[in-house]
Amino acid sequence: MSNAVPATEAVILEEQGEVRPRGVPALKYASSKIGGALISLVMVILLGFFAFKILPGDPARAAARDRQMTPEQLEQLRHQMGLDKPLWQQFTDYLGNVFTLNFGQSYVYKQSVSSLIGEYFWNTILLTGTAAVIAIALGLWLGQKAGWLHGSTFDKLTTGTSLVLWSVPTFWLGLLLLMIFGGTLHWFPTGGMTSPNPPADAPGLVLDVISHMVLPVITMVAVVYAQYVLVMRASVMEERTADYLVTARAKGLRDDLVRSRHAVPNALLPAVTLVFMHLGGLIAGAVTVETVFSWPGLGKLTFQAIQGPDLPLLQGTFVVFSAIIIVMNLAADFVYRWLDPRVRRA
Amino acid sequence: MSAQIATIARSPRRLAWMRRRKALGSFCRQFSHNRTGMAGLILLMLVIVIAMVAPVIAPAWMLDATKLIDAPRFAPPSWEHPLGTDHLGREIWVRMVWGAQVSLVVGFAATAVSMLIGTIVGIAAGHFTGWTGGLLMRIIDFFLVLPSLILAIVLSSVLQRGVWTIVIAIGLTSWAGTARVVRSQTLSVEARDYIERSRVLGAGHWHIIVKHLLPGVLPLVLANTTLTVGSAIIAESTLSFLGLGDTTMQSWGAVLKNSMDYSAATAGYWWYVLVPGIAIVLVVLAFTLVGRAVENIVNPTLRSR
Amino acid sequence: MRTRHRKHLVRALCVAAAAAMVVAPAAAANAAAPTGIHAAQSSAQPTDKSDAKTLRVATSGFVDSFNPFTSIYLLPTNILRYTYEFLVQNSQEDGSPTEGLAEKWEPSDGGKVWTFTLQDGLKWSDGKPITSADVAYTYQAMMDDPAMGVANGGLLSNLDSIETPDEKTVVLNMKEPQAPNPGVEIPVVPKHVWEKIDKPAEYANDKDVVGSGPFLLESYKANQSIVLKANKDFWRGAPKIDRIQYIYYTNSDAQVQALRSGDVDMVTGLTATQFEALDGVKGIATHSGQGRRYSAISFNVGLKTRDGQAYGNGSPALQDEAVRQAIRLGTDTDTLLEKVLGGYGEPATSFIPASYPKWTLPAGDKVIMKFDPEAAKQKLEEAGWKAGADGIREKDGKKLELRLYVDSTSATEQAEAEFFVPWMKDIGVAIKVESTDTDTITAETTKGNYDMYFSGWSQGADPDYQLGINTCANMPTATDGSGGTSQDGWCDPEFDKLYQEQHTELDQSKREAIVRKMLEMNYTATPQIATWYANSLEAYRSDRFTDFSLMPKKDGIIANQSGYWGYLTVRPAGDDTAATDGGPNVGLIVTGVVIAVLVIGGIVFVAMRRRNSADIE
Repeated sequence: MSNAVPATEAVILEEQGEVRPRGVPALKYASSKIGGALISLVMVILLGFFAFKILPGDPARAAARDRQMTPEQLEQLRHQMGLDKPLWQQFTDYLGNVFTLNFGQSYVYKQSVSSLIGEYFWNTILLTGTAAVIAIALGLWLGQKAGWLHGSTFDKLTTGTSLVLWSVPTFWLGLLLLMIFGGTLHWFPTGGMTSPNPPADAPGLVLDVISHMVLPVITMVAVVYAQYVLVMRASVMEERTADYLVTARAKGLRDDLVRSRHAVPNALLPAVTLVFMHLGGLIAGAVTVETVFSWPGLGKLTFQAIQGPDLPLLQGTFVVFSAIIIVMNLAADFVYRWLDPRVRRA
Repeated sequence: MSAQIATIARSPRRLAWMRRRKALGSFCRQFSHNRTGMAGLILLMLVIVIAMVAPVIAPAWMLDATKLIDAPRFAPPSWEHPLGTDHLGREIWVRMVWGAQVSLVVGFAATAVSMLIGTIVGIAAGHFTGWTGGLLMRIIDFFLVLPSLILAIVLSSVLQRGVWTIVIAIGLTSWAGTARVVRSQTLSVEARDYIERSRVLGAGHWHIIVKHLLPGVLPLVLANTTLTVGSAIIAESTLSFLGLGDTTMQSWGAVLKNSMDYSAATAGYWWYVLVPGIAIVLVVLAFTLVGRAVENIVNPTLRSR
Repeated sequence: MRTRHRKHLVRALCVAAAAAMVVAPAAAANAAAPTGIHAAQSSAQPTDKSDAKTLRVATSGFVDSFNPFTSIYLLPTNILRYTYEFLVQNSQEDGSPTEGLAEKWEPSDGGKVWTFTLQDGLKWSDGKPITSADVAYTYQAMMDDPAMGVANGGLLSNLDSIETPDEKTVVLNMKEPQAPNPGVEIPVVPKHVWEKIDKPAEYANDKDVVGSGPFLLESYKANQSIVLKANKDFWRGAPKIDRIQYIYYTNSDAQVQALRSGDVDMVTGLTATQFEALDGVKGIATHSGQGRRYSAISFNVGLKTRDGQAYGNGSPALQDEAVRQAIRLGTDTDTLLEKVLGGYGEPATSFIPASYPKWTLPAGDKVIMKFDPEAAKQKLEEAGWKAGADGIREKDGKKLELRLYVDSTSATEQAEAEFFVPWMKDIGVAIKVESTDTDTITAETTKGNYDMYFSGWSQGADPDYQLGINTCANMPTATDGSGGTSQDGWCDPEFDKLYQEQHTELDQSKREAIVRKMLEMNYTATPQIATWYANSLEAYRSDRFTDFSLMPKKDGIIANQSGYWGYLTVRPAGDDTAATDGGPNVGLIVTGVVIAVLVIGGIVFVAMRRRNSADIE
């Protein structure tokens, strides 16, 4: 799913209409935002525990699914996994485990979930980070241009393409690119992060990874940038009619300087907030993209966990993904504060 | 003057209905002027009609693998097989037509769940001040932050696999956006004078919500609904693709999953991959265009776009 | 105005130039064979493992551990077959017992005592001699510690004690006489290494491995790569290649692409579509070999515990043998094989695969029923199930509706269901398909809450184990389905009697006759409809390697054998050039160029901005 909120102009207006805290001292702002993030994190952890407890089934049997076990061995395993303890005690154990980042052992990989996540974590950050930077830059640039030149061919083209791309399911676009560029044209590798025997020298390795990154990054950018374009465009369109810009133009300033020096920075504010908020969609898109391109990352792990089914792994990736997004939102709050001069007054 | 009073002596209810009909008429007229919106609407009508007549134009036997023993598997598109055939010899266009039913039903159902929860929570969050409102706001923010796909995956994995699980999973994870928009709209409606006057006259929460807030919020909800259906269809196809869907149903996402299972992308069976995807894109695009058109009308400040 | 137009023009030209720079080399490199670049790279690195004597095998397998006492996953157990020789090996011909560590063996006392004589001059890979003490240590460890018996302990359940009168003789004293050879399938480990280990059941055994088989584990990086190196001192002769490298591909399509582009030399477990796509490709040989697994639709015949307590919610209709037989008559397994597996397999008769010709139930046997829907309908009529108004049969007011579990991750099962449901409707049986995940299916079938589901077992060379899990003696002990392993939940005291007979019958042909009778009995009772023995579809680069040994010798498979013959005899095909490479190099060029263009473009842009900055006020 590319979004929780359809990217529309209505949301922009609502953002601008919101009452913004004025002159809140930095420390108070920071502590309230961090506090909020921590509460969200706690709620995610709670959700992680209870969602998996609904499951009808025996985790011990699932863990031992490939093995013939006697009933005594199963009881032993159940005891080892702590399943015979009362619910509240399991919950406190779970909390303790989460704080030491212990999510149990993966049923399928037979190694600890946290070590698996540790291995694959940075690969996902590499992929989604690159895609996020490119999508944001591209989206914002196209959006502000289109918003400024509202009604022109450029605007119509940009909006049209964005709307179409927004309607495309991420995994399908990935399959398409794989089919055309990987399968038929052989321009790019069809999967993985590196070639099976990667070059040992650093620049060779870097280029190898980049060549594997091209298709997945394009897929992720294509679906997400559309949202940013629409958001930025709406914001710039709002700014365009503002009074202070009339003054700037009257003073003889060139049109694109009016745009880049005055309109855009002010339009950036609500747009950036929304962009960061919907970063969650980008990161969640990693699940399907990594699956299609066999990129060894958290998304791929999530897919393996679904296939298994491998509940400890699913639990772990759920908590980690949510934590990443909560941190991103926290960063967004700080970036917003830094960007908005009205708020900065200490 | 007495003649005027005589001709317009109607009940308040009747007046209300006349007013609504007039508003509806004006709405339709404005909508018809929006070219992209009309295009989207026509496409949608077409798809819905096709979905409804599916049993007629593509009778059920065409999906029965045992009747298609001699049909060619993986046949490329040609005159006999307009969109090609799949791994069991079934026509892709037949699967598309039946899939329209499933995808649309799931899309609408999930949206209904999402809208219901979103509207209720949104109005409550906007209407109730104090810490109830604050708490609801926090909950909305929390669900906005959660990665909806991941949460949907978790829900689909722990509940029994099936169509309704997907509907619930999508519904439960996408209501927050609506709630947010509804909340801000509620806040702006609340600020209007007639609400205050109602309160002074002794109106309770229920009355204000049902008689004033709901009608004020509904147009925006309508716009949001149309946009959310598109989102839900994409979500359903993604979940099916990941293997969490109901494999006995013909949804477009399930067809794409089949194409992945049978290596269609790398074996050169391009129609298996292209056709369902394009279908999804067209339908979601249609919903988006219609939604944006509705939004333009409902929210006059957006009209300039 | 003018400056703006000029700037736009310059920008457009930059973009066009960039596009041209990107497309041209890509097209050129795509047209020419980009072998040159990769060959240059590999020759520059002497430690590059992609040389002619390293066989690179694609795997998507998971590894639980390389400990022969505890590992049960397919990939590591197969690697362990290459690492440790057994006392008695499975022959390449047909899997029957042949020389391993032991050169001869003698059952005595009706099969209660087995005496093995080891070969002369056997050595471990570290030079120490292999003696009976190693065998005794291995077997004793498994008997003493249940944790050491996780993988193969079941095979020694009948072992009473071991004696080693001298260095070359091992005597196994069984509790009861048995005909199956007790020396098969158990990897023998070096005592002098393993007795020093503190907790042998937890030992990872993934480095410094001392073994006796043709290939030993050299290095292992979890989820990345496994490298085996050849054991020059292997008693059957040194392998003709130096190394085997397992490369992980979690997506089977990626494996196929890798084979095409030469990144790997061998892929296994292909689907019919992938197999056909590789057929006829130059430099690649495809191979469809007889597998050792049967697949079936398993019925709930009315589950009972060992004491006779009924459990589970299976439909009572299925307790009638006639109904089960009718369903078998209404299922066209030949069409299923043709349509679902693409014909890559054998139509199945019973639960012993055709790759064990001595034991399997022949297709021409007298009890075999052919697809006959009319006969099916008649059988149901005779059993009292009369067709209702909607075509579905009913009896005493109850409709004949059965549930079928389908694994949502298995495309094959889903396709089978697409055929099965209409066929059943045709004879008047309504099928409700429940598509769910593996764990739920396992849980529900163990508890007995099912009517039908798709099952299958892989088998070793001796059918004793498989026959054993069809006996009443192995039925579950508790009403939750635990305490025993039963293949289909069916058992028959007559069958048990025959089982005991074949278990102690030392005469091979007499034993075969008994097993034949058992399979006929099982077939007629129809606790399962065996659908096919799927072929194992493999492909390898014939321009790089040749001379793989199949097991069974005729039409067998290369990988996943119950032996070590596959890679024992493989040798390089004489073509020493490095494999051709496709995509990545073009991608390298393209991305390198794109980065360069972006950097140059960025510099140009900034420079131009600076020039125009005089305009600001």
